[in-house]
Amino acid sequence: MTGIDGCLAEAMAIPGARGASLVDWTSGLALGVAGEGPGGDHETSAADAAELARLAFENAAFTRSAAGPGPVEDVIVTARGGYHLIRFVETAFDSSVFLYLWLDRAEANLAVALFRLKALAGRLVVT
Amino acid sequence: MSGDSTLARLAAERATGALHGCVGALYLADGAVVHAESPAVPDVGWRLTAGGRLSPESWDEAVEEGGPDYRAGSFLVEHGRLSRGELELCHLSALFDAAYFVLSPLDTTQRVPDRFLKEAKHWFGPVRPVSVPLLQREVRRRRCLLERAWPRPEVDAAPVVPVAGAGGAGRGGPLPPTCGRQAVLAAADGVRTPLQIARALGRSAFATLLDVRRLAAAGLVRTPEADLPGTAVRPARLSPPAPTAAAPEISLLYRIRDALEAL
Repeated sequence: MTGIDGCLAEAMAIPGARGASLVDWTSGLALGVAGEGPGGDHETSAADAAELARLAFENAAFTRSAAGPGPVEDVIVTARGGYHLIRFVETAFDSSVFLYLWLDRAEANLAVALFRLKALAGRLVVT
Repeated sequence: MSGDSTLARLAAERATGALHGCVGALYLADGAVVHAESPAVPDVGWRLTAGGRLSPESWDEAVEEGGPDYRAGSFLVEHGRLSRGELELCHLSALFDAAYFVLSPLDTTQRVPDRFLKEAKHWFGPVRPVSVPLLQREVRRRRCLLERAWPRPEVDAAPVVPVAGAGGAGRGGPLPPTCGRQAVLAAADGVRTPLQIARALGRSAFATLLDVRRLAAAGLVRTPEADLPGTAVRPARLSPPAPTAAAPEISLLYRIRDALEAL
């Protein structure tokens, strides 16, 4: 993997992938994009996904657990025609980014996509 | 804004060099922005060392060894200190953060940079160039986000004063601030300003500013009483930029109404 573009290229190799982006959820800025965006526009979908991500990430209702608070890892939206996956990227310095993957529902396998996206998010920030 | 047109012209000319002034500098290569620095925001080195991702020695080594060839950033990746992804994420975050405060200075008496030093390069080296139109759109979006969060720029430069006993005012029970905002609130000691808190945390200055605005909107942080909106026109030199002249007043009235209803 070579940085953001390599990571997004690998995300596009996940079966059923139609579009992938790396988004900063503080502002909704897409730092990198690949494939197509829902509605043909990465910029708008990145901003929309960022709103959803921020709500989930910052809301204590989603971070409580029996074992103590832990961060949100994924947000999954299933729609009639597609899946939308948000995978938060954990870094050892301050950041607020997630990988956003848009999948064709007929071609994708949700479990496989989640598993591979998780691995990608980890490898992006491992030396 | 004159800075915007200068920048657009430099982009069109595919210029290489530094657009600089007292609020910081934007470095361009072939008309794209490759680096930004502002004294208002923590730089890449501060971000990487504040949280312990890099030791200060590793950072210094990269600056000393890679800096003279304008490639301190790449040095970190080549010597296994950072992954390429980490370098890009951290550098882009710092670039957009600094560019915001360069193109939209908190102190509106300060001018957006208009001096251009041709062929100047930054020692960090290019990582992921950002097109000028994208950068300008992002600066505008960030201004709007601040305005939408809480249209009171007074909180941007004032010491962050937590409101004692606040925190349970939201509908549906207490809403403790979480994550980054939690850290910002914990660092608010009534003395430090949002930018000083950002520095202490090694955190994005814009994200911290946005957190403080949201905390103020939630009533967890005091909004300075100084000049109540609508009573008088604030002197422009004291107030940070207000991008839209008419809209904030209406949204402010809505917020006051909502806050009163929530009591």
